[in-house]
Amino acid sequence: MAALDWLNVVVAAVLLAGIYAVMSVGMTIIYGVMKIVNLAHAGFMMLGAYFAYELFERGHLDPLVGAFLAFPVFFGIGRLVYWLFVRWLPVSNQPTLGSLLLMFGIWLVLQNLAYLVWGNEDRSIFTPRTFLTTQIGPITISTLRLVAFAVALVSLVVFELVLRRTWYGRSVRALIQSRYAGQLVGVDTRRTASLTFGLGIGFAGMAGALLASLYSFNPDFGRPFLIRSFVIIVLGGLESASGVALGALVLALAETIGILFVPAGYQLAISFGLLVLVLLVLPGGLAQLFAKRYRSA
Amino acid sequence: MRVVSAIAGGLGRPGWIHVAIPLALLAALAATPWIGAEANLLRLLFITFIWTTTGIAWNILGGFTGQVSFGFAVFYGLGAYTAAILINTGIHPYLAFAGSALVAVLASLMVGVPTFRLRGPYFAIATIGVSETVRVIMSNLSVTGGASGYRIVEATAFRQADHFYTGLLLVSLAFVVSVLISRSKFGLALTAIRDDEPAASDVGINPLTQKLAAHGVAAALAGMAGGVYARYAAFIHPHGVFAFNTSVYILLIPVIGGIGTLWGPVLGGVIFGIVEEQLVASFPQAHLLIYGALLILIILLEPGGILGIVRKGLRHPRLRFNP
Repeated sequence: MAALDWLNVVVAAVLLAGIYAVMSVGMTIIYGVMKIVNLAHAGFMMLGAYFAYELFERGHLDPLVGAFLAFPVFFGIGRLVYWLFVRWLPVSNQPTLGSLLLMFGIWLVLQNLAYLVWGNEDRSIFTPRTFLTTQIGPITISTLRLVAFAVALVSLVVFELVLRRTWYGRSVRALIQSRYAGQLVGVDTRRTASLTFGLGIGFAGMAGALLASLYSFNPDFGRPFLIRSFVIIVLGGLESASGVALGALVLALAETIGILFVPAGYQLAISFGLLVLVLLVLPGGLAQLFAKRYRSA
Repeated sequence: MRVVSAIAGGLGRPGWIHVAIPLALLAALAATPWIGAEANLLRLLFITFIWTTTGIAWNILGGFTGQVSFGFAVFYGLGAYTAAILINTGIHPYLAFAGSALVAVLASLMVGVPTFRLRGPYFAIATIGVSETVRVIMSNLSVTGGASGYRIVEATAFRQADHFYTGLLLVSLAFVVSVLISRSKFGLALTAIRDDEPAASDVGINPLTQKLAAHGVAAALAGMAGGVYARYAAFIHPHGVFAFNTSVYILLIPVIGGIGTLWGPVLGGVIFGIVEEQLVASFPQAHLLIYGALLILIILLEPGGILGIVRKGLRHPRLRFNP
């Protein structure tokens, strides 16, 4: 393959990584703060996609505006779900059987409510922008992916700033490092957990809305992305949005390059294979790689 | 009271009633085809045996060991396909079921070895990935007909009583295995891992090997259940046996009945067998919605399932258990 083709592949991977990062950052903070694996993440992503779809079909609203609107709406939904269900779970330092089954149940309910409301046919959003391309030097990029990437990047940078600069962000990082120590220095765990759950679902809804303009979707939408989000978490660690971005980049590269060698039907097998490989070789994620380098130096 | 305590099955020497109740149940079930039960009842019972077996299998891993798997359809499906292929070569069905168990155990090792070494949610998440991947592969595999399915042709005529007794034998085997594990040192080790893994490894339990063993036993049972079902159905396809729904049903059964108990999966299997028949007939679209809501309600209100409610009602000290 020519060097130019490789460049195109890498650019495509970077653009995909932006959306992947938004998708998994929500799952990351919920896992980090509450040690809950949000299996319902897939369900909220699917709802985000339908949210953008309905706004576009009924309100003729640009799906990218829909993605921005999805964030506050799903933030509210997330806090409601936290208040209704999640806060009753016993607090634990590792994922419990109960939390896994509860989130799984919420996912089943969301998915099958969507089947009742929208049926099982595939939907997609077509705007005049859908087939536009942008030419940057020798590289051809889908404009839509470029814009979606920009939206993703902006929201990630804002989130990173929130994590670094605000009291809430400090509480989140404290609870990720040690729940016990966080409580000792006066972090309001309930409030932080509630806000975090809201933010996590907000990101899920936004990612779903962004993906809705790139792919077709049905109520089962999101399930392949659940495993991808988890691969990214395992790769990138829990400490920062930049770790998530790095994990997302690795996965997007593996998928974009892997698709050249593996039939399209097996694409999910790439992310799963990557997960198994990482668990076997680098159970501490990419951070472990850097830590090892540091030690040996 | 003694009956209920017997059903709960505590540690220690089993009293006569611990043996009498299962035997009486077994005798009653074994007699059903003799007293002229109609074919539809036998079919319902057979399906219940299959579901109960998978529920008991899941419970060994999920209930005793605390490792949640969302991918038991992999073992069920692999068992079904293995038995189907072997039966078509003409060997005895029971040997084919042994082959199902073997293939399922091998598959369980492939999932377990990378994920069980680590604490945390790795296993649970990986099981979702495995079941997706395996279904995609099986849908594209031309040897087994891909997505269009695979037919089983047996040389002998279809005898429902034969299938019924195979199912009864299978569910009895699963129950006995589950009882033996819960009364053994192995079972204690599994419970220790569930309750506190670091403490368990401090007292000399190797969590990796114990979890792999529990996963293997569970996979073998689920695989055999798939094999027995495949022989009965005579036609299997990837979107049936490998379906995500199958994994959901398998984990739901012990959760409904009472997770981590001996009789929970049995109770759950019976309820599920009957309810699924009725629900599928009346709400073909909404039954997963109902199961999801049921899962949420059980986890939030009574994580012990139906047995948990019974126990709370009776407040019997020997019936306590900590999920």
